[in-house]
Amino acid sequence: MIQSQNGVQGIIIVNSEGIPIKTTLDNASTVQYAGLIHQLVMKARSTVRDIDPQNDLTFLRIRSKKNEIMIAPDKDYFLIVIQNPSD
Amino acid sequence: MIDSVIRELVTNARSHAFDEFQVNWEDQSHLVSCLHCLQHPSAQESGLHVTGVSWSCTGSVIACAYGRIDDGDWSTERSCVCTWNLDRRGLDPKQADLVLDVPTAVTALCCHPNQPALIAGGLFSGEVVVWDTSRTQDPVLVQTGMSADSHREPVYQVAWVPLQKKGEFGVLSACSGGRVLLWTVDSDLGRLVLNAAYALVQQQVPHSSTTSFKARGSSTVGVTALALSPWDPDTFLVGSEGGLLLRCSFSSQTPAAAPSEGHNATLRAPAVFLFRPRSGPVHSIHCSPFHRNLFVSAGTDGLAHLHSLLQADPLLSLRVSDSYVFQVQWSPTRPLVFAAATGQGEVQIFDLGRRSQRPAATMEQGGANQAATCLAFNHQNPQLLAVGNTKGSVCIWQLSHNLTEHSPRESGQLEQIANQVAE
Repeated sequence: MIQSQNGVQGIIIVNSEGIPIKTTLDNASTVQYAGLIHQLVMKARSTVRDIDPQNDLTFLRIRSKKNEIMIAPDKDYFLIVIQNPSD
Repeated sequence: MIDSVIRELVTNARSHAFDEFQVNWEDQSHLVSCLHCLQHPSAQESGLHVTGVSWSCTGSVIACAYGRIDDGDWSTERSCVCTWNLDRRGLDPKQADLVLDVPTAVTALCCHPNQPALIAGGLFSGEVVVWDTSRTQDPVLVQTGMSADSHREPVYQVAWVPLQKKGEFGVLSACSGGRVLLWTVDSDLGRLVLNAAYALVQQQVPHSSTTSFKARGSSTVGVTALALSPWDPDTFLVGSEGGLLLRCSFSSQTPAAAPSEGHNATLRAPAVFLFRPRSGPVHSIHCSPFHRNLFVSAGTDGLAHLHSLLQADPLLSLRVSDSYVFQVQWSPTRPLVFAAATGQGEVQIFDLGRRSQRPAATMEQGGANQAATCLAFNHQNPQLLAVGNTKGSVCIWQLSHNLTEHSPRESGQLEQIANQVAE
């Protein structure tokens, strides 16, 4: 369902330890994205909670020249979607 | 949660919020300027031309090969390969960091894609050499020597090719005798070992219905240009002295209709598809790093032809120069940009995103009666472009911001160009 949306280039599901459990990309890219994004999400979450301990991260979007990475965190896993909105 | 993600994706696809939004992380340079003009005095005194430039994989070192581009006869003149490290303090443009002496003119040069110390070169005598610049003693790591396997004609192109085993590279060399040979490096024996051999002969050039081609003259197809496809490891492109442009396959098993000349490997005919022939030698071919079907070719007709691998006729032909074009190369960062080195001494940079067919930038190296013979973009530092000329000097140009920064809709435009069907 997500795959069929406009411009979606890849979807990765990562567990709470940062290990990819499902992916539509090749192995090497998946491992790279999973490792780097896990660290970034942890940092983003702690930034939000340090500013306000009652608050928490709900969604993270990284917009770059070539595409946008969207990360939806959850208790047991993260959902990472890479989209090129102009496609 | 999936629903909320889908909602965001849909909204994002329709959003115009970021349409003209651009971020400047660095100071933008609006000018194209010449940073260095590198010269090797003894090569200049001998009147040698720069025949090839190649950046090392780290992007700091530029290797320059000297020889002549106009020699038809056997030349016994010594020449050299010089390297300069541009990131080192105390760079002296008149003094190379390393000078490798070579017994004959160097006609092709290519730095290793992973190991910064290795450089492959092709010589006028037909030999292929790999130098290891980290060795203080004899820098020649391996060479073909004058064995039965080697080329007998000048080697106009060398390239590093990934081999079956991951991480290993072989050297592909092409000569004007119509042979394309694949070598593996055996550093223990100090030799290049022939792995596969391909021969191109006129009779085995594939005919297609849209191009009429009559075999004429000698039967060998002298190779003057070679390009590897970064997308398909089995495909390579070949350009010849007679103006032929061919798509070839490494895995072709057809035996070549050519005398074996003592090669240890069986000669195979690699040509699979013939593109529209040119009226003069094809000097340069380069596959687009951004689109699997696109490549650009140029030669003595002064035009740069943009081709799709899927059809014989070019998609687009741009007039680059009134004289020969010696090399074309796509920009490593902007999908629509390529640079061309011309016989009039200028380097023309074309931007296919512009409506006009005139170049986006023209770089002149000053002085008449000289030709720009070779150029190379620096992949690590995409603002740098090295250009070699017949006056024996190599200019390092810094390109302006608009020639190197990827703009938002470029990939889409490239896709559109690639999908046109030529009339």
